[in-house]
Amino acid sequence: MGQLYLDKVQKFYGDFEVLKSIGLEVKDGEFVVFVGPSGCGKSTLLRMIAGLDSTSAGDIVIDGVRVNDKPPVQRGIAMVFQSYALYPHMTVFENIAFPLRVEKLPEEKIREKVGAVAKILQLDKRLQQKPGMLSGGQRQRVAIGRAIVREPKIFLFDEPLSNLDAALRADMRIELSKLHRDLKATMIYVTHDQVEAMTMADRIVVLNAGDIAQVGAPLELYHKPQNLFVAGFIGNPKMNFLPVTCEAVDAGGITVSFEGQRITIPVTPRDGIVGKTLTLGIRPEHISLISGDLRITVTPSVIERLGVNTVAYASLSSGEGFCSLLPGSAPIRVDEPMPAGIRAADCHLFDANGIAFERHVDWQKLEMPEVTAA
Amino acid sequence: MREPPQLINRYRWYEIIGIYCGIGVFLTFVLAPFVEGFLVSLKPLSQLFSSPYRFIPENGSFRAYVTMWESVPGFGRYIFNSFFISTIVTAVVLCMVVPAAYAFARFEFKGRGTLLGAFLAVNMFSGAVLLIPLFRLMRSLGVLNTYFAMIVPGVAFLIPSAIWLLRTYMMRIPKELDEAAYVDGASHFYTLRRVILPIAMPGITVVAITTFIGSYAQQFIFALTFNAKSEYMPLPVGLFAYFGRQEVVWNELMAASFVGIAPAMIVIFFLQRYLVSGLTAGAVKQ
Repeated sequence: MGQLYLDKVQKFYGDFEVLKSIGLEVKDGEFVVFVGPSGCGKSTLLRMIAGLDSTSAGDIVIDGVRVNDKPPVQRGIAMVFQSYALYPHMTVFENIAFPLRVEKLPEEKIREKVGAVAKILQLDKRLQQKPGMLSGGQRQRVAIGRAIVREPKIFLFDEPLSNLDAALRADMRIELSKLHRDLKATMIYVTHDQVEAMTMADRIVVLNAGDIAQVGAPLELYHKPQNLFVAGFIGNPKMNFLPVTCEAVDAGGITVSFEGQRITIPVTPRDGIVGKTLTLGIRPEHISLISGDLRITVTPSVIERLGVNTVAYASLSSGEGFCSLLPGSAPIRVDEPMPAGIRAADCHLFDANGIAFERHVDWQKLEMPEVTAA
Repeated sequence: MREPPQLINRYRWYEIIGIYCGIGVFLTFVLAPFVEGFLVSLKPLSQLFSSPYRFIPENGSFRAYVTMWESVPGFGRYIFNSFFISTIVTAVVLCMVVPAAYAFARFEFKGRGTLLGAFLAVNMFSGAVLLIPLFRLMRSLGVLNTYFAMIVPGVAFLIPSAIWLLRTYMMRIPKELDEAAYVDGASHFYTLRRVILPIAMPGITVVAITTFIGSYAQQFIFALTFNAKSEYMPLPVGLFAYFGRQEVVWNELMAASFVGIAPAMIVIFFLQRYLVSGLTAGAVKQ
């Protein structure tokens, strides 16, 4: 069992509030990813769950027991550090065996357990080597092995892949997902890389400036971001935002105008927004050169051609950046105006406070992001 | 073809001459006394005061290295005393400094900065300034003329610099290692013993060597003041035995000096094996 419950957890450094009353429930066996920009408090929150940082207020409850004042080992957690934190003078075997030696397990038991872990992580042939002789990926596996060997209730990962190169990171991502499936343990994973978050998580917790911006399944965050922050944070390249004016409201959605054009967006309206300025969000991958309910013209200043698609960066008259992700090798040129069509169904709409109007989409039915017709 | 040196390491001919002249001047000042001392130890006493003075000894021999043991029978004991005092001082300093340096490097506590500053301030006083108060203290404790009187002040004056040295080294050991051990259930002492000590070994060796040398060098003043018994005398004081009533047996004195340094050299040679650099390789990704 590995349930985690955070009840109004707060953290202060002096007068500065790092975490603002975090409430979260993590189910047994869930893979939860904390994601957010640098300094949002995600690592601090993880260290508080681990017991490395103290909790200023609120309760951390693991399996029904309040653990605020318990040392890490009694909380039933194990942690994998960003920098691996391997003991350089010990062999791989001794590194993995370290928690067991602290527990003073008998030698044959240690051999058996370390052997089993080494097999899972394919480290059998490396057991007698020292960390200095291993590659980055192998070191990371040793660090994970040291966490697994204690059979904790909850695994905590603090940006474990950020020191690896891109190819290795992709491999380790797959290995970690497999590991989670095999161990069926609760895992909490901190990262600033949204690809890691989207690919591995059962649920993602987006943190912004010490507060939870949204909690949800990866595709839920993609299709139904609750606020401007999540909308801008999830998705790469990030979502474009256009200032629009609300013209009318009816059951079918909200009609807004942008530079004289009107478009009705299928979202659930709220009262008292007619005439107000709203923000329309459209993902770069939903922009089409040919069709659209709203058509604007932009002039790209930079074009990146990746083969599989083309990214065009332009500026709107308001000064905001406008990015389009077009499939294949799109027929556009730098400094030449290009049409950009936007489908109403793809649009997100946010009020002046950045809170989203609920979109009329069922993300659970959308197994893949919709491919816009080119 | 020889690889040309890095651009930043290329010098003009006059720069090279300047560099070697500089090296030459300092090396002369450092090494000349040793060379001269060694040459003196080879000469018969009569030749030392010959005029004109000659640096290269005629019919030089190692006789002084034999006769020195006969003219001062206690010399072996003096070497032992020096060695003994320095070893004990080093051992005691290490026992106290390793945990202290760990604490100073890792824990936030009130007065940490003040305490470190105070240690540095203590270092500015040479032991000589405090000799009289120390003497009175030793006398009232009744420990004059014992090894204790020479060891304790030695330890006290060597601890501050040792703490500074080792603290700096330990601060370079990544904090994540402590945290990882803590998460795995290890206590502070277990972490210190199983994780920090092995990694800090090169730093500890440096501290051991400097402490040993420091103790060897500072014995003179403490031994001269706090000890009158010839059987406890360390080497620097023992060398005075070669100053006879009528004459100084210079060649034996020089020979004795060289023999006296030998044990320290051997210890340092032995310790430097532990000065392995890059021991933390692979601990964390920097």
